[in-house]
Amino acid sequence: MKNFWKSGDPFIWLTAGGLAFSLLMVAGLVLLILANGLGFFWPKDVALLVLDDKTAVMGQVMEREEIPQPGAPPGTPKKYRIQVKQGNRDIYGQDFAWVDESRIVRRERPDDAVVIERREWGNLYGTLKEVREDGQTVGGGEEGWNTLQERLPQAAHLLAEIRRIEKTEIGAINHAQEKIRLQIKKLSSQGRGEGPEAARLKGQLDALQAVYTEKETALAAHRKKDTVSVVVSAVGGQEKELPLTQVIRAYRPNVMGPGAKTAFYAAKVWEFVSDDPRESNTEGGVFPAIFGTVMMVMIMSLVATPLGVLAAFYLREYAKQGPFVSTVRIAVNNLAGVPSIVFGVFGVGFFVYFVGGSIDRLFYPESLPTPTFGTGGIFWASLTLALLTLPVVIVATEEGLAAIPGGLREASLALGATKFETTWRIVLPAVMPSILTGLILAMARAAGEVAPLMITGVVKLAPALPLDSFWPFLHLDRKFMHLGFHIYDVGFQSPNVDAARPMVFTTTLLLLGIVLVLNLAAIVLRNRLRKKYALGTL
Amino acid sequence: MDPVIDQQVEVSSRGPREAARGIALSRSSVKRRILIDRLVRRLVTLGGVTIIASILAILIVIGVEVYPLAGKPAATLRETTAAAGGGSPLAIGVDEYMEAAFIVDAGGITLISLKSGSAIPSPALAGLGSARIVSASPAGRGGFALGLSNGRVIPVEVRFNVSYAESGRKVEPEVVTAEPLAVDPSQRPIERLARIEGAEGPVTAAQVGAREIVLISIKETKALVGEAKREETRKTLSLPAKGEITAIALDARGDNLFAGTSMGEIVSIGLRDTAEPRVTSLGREEGGAIPSITVLGFMNGDRTLVAGDAGGGVASWQVLQDAGGDRRLTRIYEFASHEGPVVAFTPSRRDKGFLTADGTGAIKLHYATTGKTLLDVPAGGAQHSTVAGLAALAFAPKADGFVTADAAGRLSHFRLDNPHPEVTWRSLFGKVWYEGYEKPEYVWQSTGGTDDFEPKLSLTPLIYGTLKGTFYALLFAVPLALLGALYTSQFMHPGIKGTVKPVVEIMAALPSVVLGFIAGLWLAPMMERVVPGLFLLPVVVPVLVLLALVLWRLLPAPARTRIRPGYEVILLVPVVIAGIWLSFGLGGILESALLSGDYRGWLLRALGLTYDQRNSLVVGFAMGFAVIPIIFTIAEDSLSNVPQHLVAGSLALGATRWQTATRIVLPTASPGIFSAVMIGFGRAVGETMIVLMATGNTPVMDWSVFNGFRALSANIAVELPEAPEGATLFRVLFLAALLLFMMTFVVNTVAELVRLKLRKKYRYL
Repeated sequence: MKNFWKSGDPFIWLTAGGLAFSLLMVAGLVLLILANGLGFFWPKDVALLVLDDKTAVMGQVMEREEIPQPGAPPGTPKKYRIQVKQGNRDIYGQDFAWVDESRIVRRERPDDAVVIERREWGNLYGTLKEVREDGQTVGGGEEGWNTLQERLPQAAHLLAEIRRIEKTEIGAINHAQEKIRLQIKKLSSQGRGEGPEAARLKGQLDALQAVYTEKETALAAHRKKDTVSVVVSAVGGQEKELPLTQVIRAYRPNVMGPGAKTAFYAAKVWEFVSDDPRESNTEGGVFPAIFGTVMMVMIMSLVATPLGVLAAFYLREYAKQGPFVSTVRIAVNNLAGVPSIVFGVFGVGFFVYFVGGSIDRLFYPESLPTPTFGTGGIFWASLTLALLTLPVVIVATEEGLAAIPGGLREASLALGATKFETTWRIVLPAVMPSILTGLILAMARAAGEVAPLMITGVVKLAPALPLDSFWPFLHLDRKFMHLGFHIYDVGFQSPNVDAARPMVFTTTLLLLGIVLVLNLAAIVLRNRLRKKYALGTL
Repeated sequence: MDPVIDQQVEVSSRGPREAARGIALSRSSVKRRILIDRLVRRLVTLGGVTIIASILAILIVIGVEVYPLAGKPAATLRETTAAAGGGSPLAIGVDEYMEAAFIVDAGGITLISLKSGSAIPSPALAGLGSARIVSASPAGRGGFALGLSNGRVIPVEVRFNVSYAESGRKVEPEVVTAEPLAVDPSQRPIERLARIEGAEGPVTAAQVGAREIVLISIKETKALVGEAKREETRKTLSLPAKGEITAIALDARGDNLFAGTSMGEIVSIGLRDTAEPRVTSLGREEGGAIPSITVLGFMNGDRTLVAGDAGGGVASWQVLQDAGGDRRLTRIYEFASHEGPVVAFTPSRRDKGFLTADGTGAIKLHYATTGKTLLDVPAGGAQHSTVAGLAALAFAPKADGFVTADAAGRLSHFRLDNPHPEVTWRSLFGKVWYEGYEKPEYVWQSTGGTDDFEPKLSLTPLIYGTLKGTFYALLFAVPLALLGALYTSQFMHPGIKGTVKPVVEIMAALPSVVLGFIAGLWLAPMMERVVPGLFLLPVVVPVLVLLALVLWRLLPAPARTRIRPGYEVILLVPVVIAGIWLSFGLGGILESALLSGDYRGWLLRALGLTYDQRNSLVVGFAMGFAVIPIIFTIAEDSLSNVPQHLVAGSLALGATRWQTATRIVLPTASPGIFSAVMIGFGRAVGETMIVLMATGNTPVMDWSVFNGFRALSANIAVELPEAPEGATLFRVLFLAALLLFMMTFVVNTVAELVRLKLRKKYRYL
């Protein structure tokens, strides 16, 4: 026994245990997110649970958990309950129901159970009764199902047309009107509110109003075409009539084969990454959030990379090495450890209120007191993150510069090249991979950061993307959506957390995927570099 | 293709071509090249320095936003108008733009334009008749009342009508009077007067004799049909006090009437109950006697009573419940004294500030919450001169100025620059006695529901929360990270080191919002079920690991050699999983056996602790994900960099691997480990999303691991979007950010310096 402890092996095993625990934590977290995030779109079977009081619950079984029995004597048989997504929020009041397993008399898997995804009110579960047009039945039962499948694309087309008129055409008119109004306001603030120019603008405004009325009429005509509806009878006998334009898709999971289910899964994943969110972000897609994240990261990279590289070149190639440069280097290193929220606070104080406020006073006085740049927006958020990630780029570039053998530079200088030529033609290409590593790490950091964005311009639901078809196309003053903030908002501010949770897991998976892929790329790149310079210094 | 070759080929293939172009050396091209070179040097230097300077500007910008908090208030005299009216003013008032004012004196109300400095003609006061005005109630929101020499009271309101025209804003004052009230049938003069607009109707308290107060409350009930009913209740109170009444005050709810006496007593009379009036002594002596009370008035919100006395003393009082459940008047603060008797008092309608003045004309600005006297405007100084002695004082409605009137009826008007009166060093970090609290406390509560809500901005609970979260995070992360680093650097086989390190680096890259979400929505409800098991983990897992080692040793040698030393960690993964499973199982058994199946009930009974679902336990664990990789990486680096000959020498002398690790490697690398822990601390202090999502964000102050907290960082993230620019809350949040910056910057610098020193040390070893 004495030998056992004296050998030191127990302690070594304990340290190994500590490491194993840490590794398990990471693996467990990634597995948890994978398991929860990937399963969300798979069409689960619809179960019909008949209870002991002759009532029934129809829906998709989500979860099974033990019912806690505090104070029960040991040996009491465990009890379980299951969570059923019963949908039909407009009929039952809530999407989810907990059912005690002991109360279930019979479980069925009806073939004709249909799930309808709606644009509002969440899913509808039940059996298809009939399809109506103008109040007339055009198909019931199995025939109704076929009719429904036939008519759905038409309805989708109609809706797309209505949306196009609303968003694109009427949106353009609104945009133009708003611009003219601002011009008129500007004129009157200059004391020329009654001149010929103002009159001309007012004439334009009236013309636009006429076009607007015309479009409204067209829209109303389109809306009148929306006459087909589907009638579904839910468990409990209630019937629900739903216009087809409200239906996103209808499916019968209990009769779908693996192929159909895979296709369905693919369609849902595509919807997730390409569609707008619905139902206060708990359904639909996250396209605006992906777009916002990518765009913010891109603007951030455009700003941070040149600045960071410039600073690194100054520190390593141009500045005289001494106590000053060492101090600066420590300061830059430490900046990487300053909490991100502090950068956010700086962004608010400096970019938003100071710079933004000044821009508003100088260039947009006509729209004050409504701020243009004097409020949070994608540009200020990107600049804040650029500052936050600057140390990452500087440190990575500096490391790369330090690893380049001095002989390379000296050879170039000896051949008569100037310092700039050496830097530009010899050092810069050699350090490029390091810069890229730094940039990738910076992008990964920026993509996952949320706290500074919360105060510099991220919103839960942005009315428009920062990029659109109206001049100047890129609207740097707009607020934007972000995947990380989407997770926070939907997971913690949503009124219906149960319904939102799977969605948040999926978004989390997406964000995690982006960040991990970026990081892995940086690690691989760095390892290859190390190998290269390990040889290069020989 | 091998990248090395690739690079060389590129250099050589490009080199000659470029050189060939350069060889055609003309004088001008050399000049141009040198010029470009110089230009670029300047540019890079300029750019580099600018960027570095802009990084340092962070500190400056945040500091600039915080600085106004430390600013001292200042009052500047704008103008003194010529005497208007009859002198000996009883009350004055001013509009919110400080363009018009009024003076009440014996003959009536005089309206004055502060722009021109002259009186605005207005009709004589209705209902005055041949009587003179002898007293006036303090003018607050809405109206006030005038006491006449014939025992009548006139309710009056000075309205400032604001209109906007081409030439700008125009303020036109107008006097509106209501029907006079016959208070005293025997027509004694009204000596002192207080009047409030209660919820049910106006309440008037008028002093008519030395110890006699007449109280008239009017209830107006509007009937659906017919005329409004007017019900007048009249009560005459004779005070039990020894002295004569020298001041009276009514609170806005009409609950209490307070009277000050010449013997330095405050008599409180409950108006809603029939309890006996209660006498409280000022408890202050001036020249051997208790000075008489000269002014009495309520602060904004009508909870704090301010009493000024003939000795120049100013103190604030509140009705508080004492230990016996008895409600009594308690002194809260004593403010800086005046040199002479206090003659005037006026509260701010924006905050808890108030002004007092003595007869010589010295004015002091106090703040009731902090107990501080913020500003002292001396009498007869350069700032203003009161020849005839100060008689009346009034705060402007926006609290950005005040007006005074001297005995001759001259009006002086002051601008007051006092943007952050509620912030002092003590109110930010110390205990503050807020209205309605039993004792001074640390409170963070920045917004509230009511108009007279007072923001309570103590950073102490937030700093406490930050440190609490950091403590529990480090308690969990430091042992795990250091054990892992020691194993990885000293015992692990290089074959798997290349995989383990990137995994840990990936752990560092996990977005904190992901960790926060998992912690708040998945981990917190999960942990709630297995709390007893969690506390068994640190015991069960190591025991199981040792058990595994014993079993391992019992295996026949050929089987053991299949796994080389340095691969133990792979073997241990299933052991640790088993350990976790076993702890939770044992925890459940223990809970039902020892804690009667309900650990939460047991916690409450035995330890008096409540269990919040989102608590420090969850935060500590989740923050571990963020902190472990940082500590691990830095510690592992410094452990690995311990010169190899030291290790080799130790092993050669017969020390075991463990002895070498603990006696040679650890001491040599200890500065590096210290700096690793420091940097981990910095990360935990600033972590925002995890603490925001995994704690309840309640600013409580206790160390219980089962409660949540509110951290500085999360507080900034939640409140900054709602804080108006330049307001006190905005600046206090910037101060919080500055604190975070300092904390992390200092800690990181220390860690960095330690690390640099270590690097030097290795070079010499």
